[in-house]
Amino acid sequence: MDTSQYLDIFLDESKEHLQNLSDQIMDLEQNPENMDTINEIFRAAHSLKGMAGTMGYKRMQTLTHDMENVFSEVRNGTFKVLPGMIDILFKSLDALEEYVNNIQQTTEEGTNDNQDLIDALNSILKNNGEVVLGESSASAKTEEPVASSAQDAGANTKREKWQEIKITDTERMLVDKAYSEGLKAFGVTVYVEEACVLKAARAFLVFKALEKLGEIIVSSPTAQDIEDEKFDLTFSLILISANTTEEIIEAVKSVSEIEEAFCAEYTSAKEEKPAAPEKVVESKTVEESKPAATASPAMSKTVPAPAQTPVPTAKPAVAPTSSSSASSSSKPAAKPVVNRTVRVDIEKLDNLMNLVSELIIAKNSLISATAADDNKGDNGSVNEQIEYLESVTTNLHESVMKVRMVPIESVVAKFPRMIRDLSKKLNKKMELYMTGEDTELDRTVVDEIGDPLMHMLRNSADHGLEPNDVRVANGKPEVGSIFLDAYQDGNNVVIEVRDDGGGINVEAVRNKAIERGTVTPEQAETMTEKEIIDLLFLPSFSTAKKVSDVSGRGVGLDVVKSKIESLSGEVEVKNRFGEGSSWIIRLPLTLAIIQALMVVIGDEKYAIALGSIQTIEDVLPEDIKLVQAKEVIHIRGTVIPIIRMDKVLDMPPREGDKNKNLTVIIVKKGEKQAGLVVDELIGQQEVVIKSMGKYIKVPKMISGATILGNGEVALILDTNALI
Amino acid sequence: MDVVKIMDEKKRNVSLNRPVEHDTTQFIVTQLGGEQYGIDIKYISNIIRMSKITRVPKVPNYIKGVINVRGVVIPTISLRLKMGLPEDEVTKKTRIIILTLEQHESIGVLVDEVKEVVTLDEDHIERMGYEKDEKERFLSGVGKSDGKLISLLDITSVLAEVVDV
Repeated sequence: MDTSQYLDIFLDESKEHLQNLSDQIMDLEQNPENMDTINEIFRAAHSLKGMAGTMGYKRMQTLTHDMENVFSEVRNGTFKVLPGMIDILFKSLDALEEYVNNIQQTTEEGTNDNQDLIDALNSILKNNGEVVLGESSASAKTEEPVASSAQDAGANTKREKWQEIKITDTERMLVDKAYSEGLKAFGVTVYVEEACVLKAARAFLVFKALEKLGEIIVSSPTAQDIEDEKFDLTFSLILISANTTEEIIEAVKSVSEIEEAFCAEYTSAKEEKPAAPEKVVESKTVEESKPAATASPAMSKTVPAPAQTPVPTAKPAVAPTSSSSASSSSKPAAKPVVNRTVRVDIEKLDNLMNLVSELIIAKNSLISATAADDNKGDNGSVNEQIEYLESVTTNLHESVMKVRMVPIESVVAKFPRMIRDLSKKLNKKMELYMTGEDTELDRTVVDEIGDPLMHMLRNSADHGLEPNDVRVANGKPEVGSIFLDAYQDGNNVVIEVRDDGGGINVEAVRNKAIERGTVTPEQAETMTEKEIIDLLFLPSFSTAKKVSDVSGRGVGLDVVKSKIESLSGEVEVKNRFGEGSSWIIRLPLTLAIIQALMVVIGDEKYAIALGSIQTIEDVLPEDIKLVQAKEVIHIRGTVIPIIRMDKVLDMPPREGDKNKNLTVIIVKKGEKQAGLVVDELIGQQEVVIKSMGKYIKVPKMISGATILGNGEVALILDTNALI
Repeated sequence: MDVVKIMDEKKRNVSLNRPVEHDTTQFIVTQLGGEQYGIDIKYISNIIRMSKITRVPKVPNYIKGVINVRGVVIPTISLRLKMGLPEDEVTKKTRIIILTLEQHESIGVLVDEVKEVVTLDEDHIERMGYEKDEKERFLSGVGKSDGKLISLLDITSVLAEVVDV
């Protein structure tokens, strides 16, 4: 079978599954008992195995299969998750990732069998799981959950997965309420035949059949997942009904291709309860479920004997209003909102973006054409239509831009794992806290931002955080913290990497710089803290005392800086010696279309990005002073160097009155400022940034070109390169 | 069976109607100074009239600047300056030939005039030897057409130098 056409999908989905596995295993390391996580891991591993098998990647399939075996035993409770096991699982994940990478590059999975990992996985199975599961013989007679034989109960418990369903307070309240109304709650676990083709359809019929008998309050997996066939051969649910277990089982089995169904009265008594219930007040809405939940300790006593009249104090909690709103919210039909998505080739989006750019240029030319006609009579209605067109194109541009935006999650998701590995490797305890993973950036930027962020996190882990004993000695918590925060700030996205380590030792950097000959001792003496820190971004400058596997080779920060700058972003460092440092990356939301100020220099038009402009000043020629043979102006308490743009751009200065006022555009780069002298201002305009092709090597001060309304090309000035 | 035969017959006829495929190349003949230069037609994506060229500061003098061709910004060079001829004089006949070597990467070259398209077969092209003087660096050979001599431009070597700068 030719599977090449599915290769892209396979790669995409494999990566997703691998990331998911990685996340879940991380989670498992923290909460080894969490059944949801184990189930999720099992499901992901299972899908991965299936996909690899379909595509004919045998080695990948074998390895996943063995991983799946281990999870399957964990899931069945044969043995528990141990730290050693997590390591082997991570190594297996790395091996799988290597397979996927190989496939991506060569369409072959490679020849590495990873036999050692397979052996390790198998030995886990042998050493911890000597009990071979004979669960398949479990009997269908499960009406009595408290069976006389403990062994039987054990076997049944394994099959009766509904006992693993975690219910919320609201659902618990529903159960309690059901008993108070003389109904019963049942746990039901359904096994679909292995040969069943339309599992989701069968499940649907089961749901249908059960809904005739009562009300399904919760299911595992969720109703949506079941509908999407995201379950193996079994699903469980909790049903509130007046019928008996036999009737329920009968109803389930009336659906064909159902292998087995288990049903038993649902007992929630074993769950932990909040202590000391307050006096129960009347609660009318589901939102006020707290008092109802506190009522449940009393209620739970009634569960084993449901026929008994409910405890009177609980009565107000099941007021009719509450019951109606609660039941409507618990219908399985109330699906969770799932984003419907389409995978689109990035090239198609680029194309769309180009067309939008064209449209904006066409719109701009319309505007300039009507402006030229303006003095020839009434243009009112035309102007109105153009304004309308303008708002439509702006909205269109924004929508297309949004389509191209992806959450940075895809990049940062791998970091927790990286920090975990670093923590082991460096033998430092550390924790990564991330916020704003859903912050969105242009796809092209997101693709590029991963490496710089990784460098910075490594830096924080290796240089930033002190060794644990030093931390304790300094009165800090033993475990170091690294923070990665992302958020949108106006037209920029800010990503901040912060640690609570020792911060940058400015004196150490200063000495190192002198030692290296980067600066002379005299120079170093006069340098500010900020200037010293900037030295860190020079190529081959590392202050790590020893070269480690992680960082300290002197490559990194300069790469980070140049990468960020190539994305039109900037890096800023905030340092508090002894308390930690933070590295702030600021990136533009989009690279394609910007708001710009159009200016005339000499007889040429140039665009300056509005984002970098602070103010525009009208300056008298005599206000320009000379400081160290450089022209400066004094504005509102700051001395700002001025740059004569005509000189910079090799243009003859305009003829005219020397004493005329100068138009100076004050631009900023980080903390630095400069004043650009231009001849005329045209106005603000939305400009589309165009590449100038590779046949021309443009000077650094030109960041690109744009097409004006009249079809002419204007260059965009990069003020960062001028300062 | 018959149908297949007829189809075969048809195919043969079609191929017979085609001109005989020799080693021929089509060139656009352009005027530069007093001489005529041929540019291989396979590199040419467009020929446009002179339009406003936006100067780019701090680039070699033969790079005239950038132009807008249907929404794409394309750098434009002067072949005259590149080949050591006097500066271009813009007239009504001046044209910009848009060359595309790789996908999406185009460059415009200024020429005095575009004359005609000629088809030359290999017999009428005299390939250049290895010894080339300054002006001949960019030539791949000389073609003869109707008694005229046409210098054939080696576009890849012209552009290779532009990229190098």
